[in-house]
Amino acid sequence: MSSTDTTPAASDDASGDGTDAGGDDSLGRRALARLVDASIFERLGIAVASTLLALLIGLVVVAAAGYDPVLFIDNMVYGIFGTYSVADLFGTNNRLAQTLRPTVTFIITGVAVAIAFRAGVFNIGVQGQFVVGGFAAAATIVSIAGSLPGGAAGGAMVIVVATIAAIAAGGLYAMLPGILKAYAGANEIITTIMLNFVASGVVFWLLDAYFRPGGTFFVRTERFPEHVSFPQPIFEGTSFSVVGLAIALLTAGVVFWIMERTRFGYDLVTSGHQADAASYSGVDAKRTIVATMTFSGMVAGLAGAVYVIMVLSYFSDPATLPTFGFDAIAVSLLAANNPLGVIPAGLLFGGLESGGNFVNQSSDVPRQLIDGVVGLVVLFVAAPELFRMAGKRMDVGGDEQ
Amino acid sequence: MSGTDTDDAGAEGSSTTGEGSSYAAQLSGISKRFGDVVANDDVNLDLERGSVHALLGENGSGKTTLMNVLYGLYEQDEGTVRVDGQVRDFDSPRDAIDAGVGMIHQHFQLVEPMTVLQNVILGTEPTRGGLVDEDAARADVEEICERYGFDVDEELDTPVRELDLGAQQHVEIVKSLYRGAEILVLDEPTAVLTPQEVEGLFEVMAELTASGRSLIFITHKLGEAMEAADEITVLRDGHAVGTVSANATSREELAELMVGREVLFDADDRTTEPGDPVLTIEDLQVIGDRGRPTVRGVDCQIREGEILGVAGVEGNGQSELAESIVGLRSVADGTVTYEGTDITDASRRSLIQDGIAYIPEDRQSEGLVLDYDLERNALLGNQTVEPFVRRGVVDWDAVGDHAESIVEEYDVEPHDTGAMAESLSGGNQQKFVVGREFEHDPRAIVAAHPTRGVDIGSIEFIHDRLREMRDEGLAVLLVSSKLEEIQQLSDRIAVMYEGEFVDVVDPGAVTEQDLGLLMTGNELDDGSEPDSGTTHGNGGDDQ
Repeated sequence: MSSTDTTPAASDDASGDGTDAGGDDSLGRRALARLVDASIFERLGIAVASTLLALLIGLVVVAAAGYDPVLFIDNMVYGIFGTYSVADLFGTNNRLAQTLRPTVTFIITGVAVAIAFRAGVFNIGVQGQFVVGGFAAAATIVSIAGSLPGGAAGGAMVIVVATIAAIAAGGLYAMLPGILKAYAGANEIITTIMLNFVASGVVFWLLDAYFRPGGTFFVRTERFPEHVSFPQPIFEGTSFSVVGLAIALLTAGVVFWIMERTRFGYDLVTSGHQADAASYSGVDAKRTIVATMTFSGMVAGLAGAVYVIMVLSYFSDPATLPTFGFDAIAVSLLAANNPLGVIPAGLLFGGLESGGNFVNQSSDVPRQLIDGVVGLVVLFVAAPELFRMAGKRMDVGGDEQ
Repeated sequence: MSGTDTDDAGAEGSSTTGEGSSYAAQLSGISKRFGDVVANDDVNLDLERGSVHALLGENGSGKTTLMNVLYGLYEQDEGTVRVDGQVRDFDSPRDAIDAGVGMIHQHFQLVEPMTVLQNVILGTEPTRGGLVDEDAARADVEEICERYGFDVDEELDTPVRELDLGAQQHVEIVKSLYRGAEILVLDEPTAVLTPQEVEGLFEVMAELTASGRSLIFITHKLGEAMEAADEITVLRDGHAVGTVSANATSREELAELMVGREVLFDADDRTTEPGDPVLTIEDLQVIGDRGRPTVRGVDCQIREGEILGVAGVEGNGQSELAESIVGLRSVADGTVTYEGTDITDASRRSLIQDGIAYIPEDRQSEGLVLDYDLERNALLGNQTVEPFVRRGVVDWDAVGDHAESIVEEYDVEPHDTGAMAESLSGGNQQKFVVGREFEHDPRAIVAAHPTRGVDIGSIEFIHDRLREMRDEGLAVLLVSSKLEEIQQLSDRIAVMYEGEFVDVVDPGAVTEQDLGLLMTGNELDDGSEPDSGTTHGNGGDDQ
């Protein structure tokens, strides 16, 4: 792109002003330009190098704190893969399942965030939509599973109905801030954050009032029947299923296809790039905002369904759920809001989660230190991507008349 | 830096050899490449002290690049820059400003909510005890205004956003003078001005040169270069193809230098007769962005095979008129009828499908998505048009072929549909937008400033296409601030002033002066009323 992004400067572009750093920071600018131009493989290489560098620095800190850095990295790697050899990856110890389990949720929630961000709408409410979707799935399952036949076919039927309920619930719950933004001018960042709390509160009350089995102290639904679960051809007995992973990958693929190959996707992405151009081309800005939020919430709701069916098999106080919906923002940004890029980003987050957990369980390294090292990795991997985005934006800014 | 000192910041460069040099600035053998693109190739330019030197060329010919070298934004690959006879190597605009070089960009670098005074002293505020010394600043700025006849000193405490564009430009110039500019580069300064404001600018330029300042005036308008400049250097494809004295050249010579071939300046002869009305606008009222009525009761008809030109000083409701017709702005009152159907409240998308094409005023914010390539841009506005989209699924192959054909037929450079829209020069961007809109197979076209900021070759091309469309029986509404364009193309001219059509006239029966009068709200009293038989399908004139 180095030739294309400079030609407008050669034409009638009135780019720089007196404050432009161009003159005295040309090395930085060149590096930035190089980063913007990086191919997908170079970017993956940069990500790997960043991870290694971050781990290296993290290990120095671990050593300085008086812990064994070799043991730390050993535990980390084992925690992520459960083995040191590729051949054993799908072996019996199921560590890999511990990595892939959170990966599934990171991917789906990450895609939900990416949809909104691509359209220039900031859905910070994925957590709430995830909660609402998960609850809708759980409520559906405990309500209808008893009146449908058992066995694999009956289980599949219940799962399909529950998933549809979750998608609908997540979508409707996200539609609300979409409508508020489009027709009342309410800032979606604020409304979606507030609706996260509303979701937790309302779901807690519903659980407490209507779904708590008689005589139990905990606020949670009853456990789902055995047959309402994803099949587990491998990693049997864990709370991970390849069906969940397949749903996550399929979601990323389908959303990518919608963005790239459909009118809806083109309208949505164009609105995010240049709202005026979208309006000019006949896109109804308000409707697109509502549709984007709804679509994003549907995917978040799907994430909730997959999570309760695959991982929990019940639903409990939303405040005790992990904050996937917020981590998803980092996942999506790391993937430059590209639905396919969310897959490796989700894997990284899944691996760090699982590896960090294992270090915590198998050594006396404090949790805070582990989280610090994990944070370093995320920071280091995200930084080049953020610079890349900033570089792109600066070039665009310079070209605007 | 040298904030309180308004006059001699440029003197440091002249201390050695400057006294003897009759040139304020000399650019010698400047070459500047961006990757494979040669923006400037061995360009020489000598700026005589106390003169106006026009830099004339089509968009993309390298004018702005050359000036950015002088202004320290770019570093040249080859060649030397002399200011006051001394070789200078500016690392940043700050260096250039300190050496007395100021640049007025086409798009003003003003902070809109801040006052005129704050804008002028921004970055070079005089201080006393660490606080901005506003009184000293005010005195200095007032002195500059007085000396050069600017009247912005009466508006020193007005926020810049409340000034019109002409006044904002004056603020920019005062800012440069305040910073001690001896050499002022004006980048396309007339692009945003009304004819009256252009005259005012030329007077200011004359004042500045009379006081010994030297100006470089970037433009692609031949007439302006001839009127305002002493010398004219013509750039073409990054080469300086000639420097001529303004009073020893002709429009034809300059035009030929610019485009490398003869350009015809003929108005066309209108052969076709307009047919039935396609668009009928009755008592149209539109509220503008600031909540005030900007279109206040416009009536007109646009018929098959006719171009209705809307002339007027910008900001008199033309933009809102165009946008409300094409469905981008809601109508407060009145009706718009298109081929017998009321489309007053129709959505933009349905109007696209019905065949109303729209060349938007701002190609860069509306007509194109800048960081899409041309292929993706070819879909813009075609999202509901087969075969590009079928049942909601985009056929990118069909879109790609469409992009190819636009690029071919409308001669868009580069001939590469994978090029990013932002990488094209203004003229090529516009040709792409025009091509895409015309290929809709429209019945009516609303063209807002279709040749703004476009080079001569492209202007001719776009004009020819508009005439072709007209001859094929389309109804065309042409909004333009260029009188020449309106006069050359229109079958009837509606003059808009403060949201109303002051008059609808026959282009053959009025002079540019008449139009100028109408545009400022005056009525013609010299009996040159148009022949109502041929021009009136409506009661739109003379509200």
